[in-house]
Amino acid sequence: MNQNRCEGQTSDESALVQRAVRHDADAFAKLYDMHVDRVYRHIYYRVGNEQDAEDLTQQVFLKAWQAIRRYKKTTSPFVAWLITISHNLVVDFYRTRKDKTYLEAEVLADGPASSPEHVAETSFEQQRLRKAILQLGGDEQQVVILRFIEGFEFAEIASVMKKKEGNVRVILHRALAKLRDVLEEERKQS
Amino acid sequence: MKKFEDILVQCIDDIKAGRSSIEDCLDRYPSMRERLEPLLRIALGIREPPDVKPSAAFKVKARVWLMDQIHGRQAVTKRPWSRYDSQTKPTSYVRRFSMAGVVLAIVLVLCAAGGSTVYAAQDSLPGDALYPVKLGTEQVIMILPGDDVAKADRALSFAERRVREMEALAEKGRSQDLELAVEKYGYALKMTMAAMGRARNGGLVAGNVTARVAETMATHLYRLDMLGDIVPDAAKSAIARARETAERGRQNALAALANDNAVRAAEMNLAAMLGRLNRVRAKVQDGEALQIALQQFEDMAGFGQEISQITEETGLNIAEVAELVTEATSMHLEVLAELYEEVPEQAKKAIEQAMEQSFRGYERMMMVLERTGVEDSELPVIPEEIRQRMEDILGWTNAPKAGIPTGGSPGQSCPCCGGR
Repeated sequence: MNQNRCEGQTSDESALVQRAVRHDADAFAKLYDMHVDRVYRHIYYRVGNEQDAEDLTQQVFLKAWQAIRRYKKTTSPFVAWLITISHNLVVDFYRTRKDKTYLEAEVLADGPASSPEHVAETSFEQQRLRKAILQLGGDEQQVVILRFIEGFEFAEIASVMKKKEGNVRVILHRALAKLRDVLEEERKQS
Repeated sequence: MKKFEDILVQCIDDIKAGRSSIEDCLDRYPSMRERLEPLLRIALGIREPPDVKPSAAFKVKARVWLMDQIHGRQAVTKRPWSRYDSQTKPTSYVRRFSMAGVVLAIVLVLCAAGGSTVYAAQDSLPGDALYPVKLGTEQVIMILPGDDVAKADRALSFAERRVREMEALAEKGRSQDLELAVEKYGYALKMTMAAMGRARNGGLVAGNVTARVAETMATHLYRLDMLGDIVPDAAKSAIARARETAERGRQNALAALANDNAVRAAEMNLAAMLGRLNRVRAKVQDGEALQIALQQFEDMAGFGQEISQITEETGLNIAEVAELVTEATSMHLEVLAELYEEVPEQAKKAIEQAMEQSFRGYERMMMVLERTGVEDSELPVIPEEIRQRMEDILGWTNAPKAGIPTGGSPGQSCPCCGGR
């Protein structure tokens, strides 16, 4: 199980979120401190380089502040809302890059494991899987990442994606089937 | 019969929890074995990525940037004063700084001092042996050709450097050197104001530079607050002085800006007032800091009345400024009423004074609007529930419930405000 997973929303965090919704910047700064590592890690997994991960992480928190008045407490923790904003920003990030070669280069980059300190920790197989996951479509990619990388429960994923839990399971099934096809295709080519 | 996706999810969960193995699952659903197995192996093969973390430097930098966005420009609200944000991108005076000028300055100083020394000096801090070289380089840069707008930008970039130096000194625990940084900060702002004044007097289009100065000072105020919170007691007075200098600079720049663009000046001051209320909220349990933040809010509200006066004198965009002031005052009063419930008993009086000062600013602006011929019934009003709450707190029980403004006239709503 993902050790970084947020086990629900603590009462301290709930109070901070309530204050932030009323545009209390100090409370929002504390939420930033609590979640910046998690948001950065999520984005880094998706974009695979430090510079874009930093840039997008900053944007996530600014977007969150701009939208905080619209935040509604749900069954999912606050960080899931931040991760959803991150997901949308990463999707836009790739969409706005019209240069297809750049997109491919990013997707196929070695990603986190290319930095020396992580080489030993990440297997070749994990890199293949990561590349395949990043080739999935929006919802499929989001469900796989939220479930297997971020460790959210299905109910929480359903809540942040505004879908029924059953639909999320269907999307996950579809995503795994696509991953199987992508990996098989890759094996054939190699 | 169970759906395939439910079986798949159940198997993944069971295997991950150690309740089952892949083989157990496949044996349980032999008819699905062929479909199930590859998907299970893929799902179970996906691992958490290594625990990548952002650098501490990035986290601090991004936090400061975020708070700058929140406090300095209030790019966060759909209220009218946010129009300022949509019109202006964050100003990087470093970028605006003439690169040709930088190159020339470096060449000049290189001739005098030797390249490696000058280069090394750029990272020096007050108290370092090379710091005078850094200041000397800046003086050379100031005398390079350029109009007064460019010179104001250059001096402003030096003020920004001084704040960064203060932050670096605090981080290194060198609070004994803060005095020098604060002194040089004052000097850089003096140069900024002088160049800005000359630019305006010389007929240059100075609206943008005055806005940049005001915007930068607003972010400095926030950063100096943070510094004041972390430096030892002995260094707090130096930071407080830097803060006063920044506030004077902000007000001077806004007063200048109000002559060219009253709406923008009003927006920026109202945003700064909201920033002060955020500070109040953050310091609600810290008696002294709370009183200081409330006093600063009152001062900013008082300065808002000066902007109203300038608006009247220029006669431009009065209605627009009045709308802004009304909406912002409503918000300020609402926040102050919330804070009233949270602060300790001894701080309630200060909240009352801040409410009164805020309302006085609103009344002042309504008077200006009235004098342009706008009927009472057409004046923008503070929502009844907010007004009622304010009156309850201030004990203005006999005040009329409509017909704002009434201050200074029979049945005035603000018994403490005196005339208009």
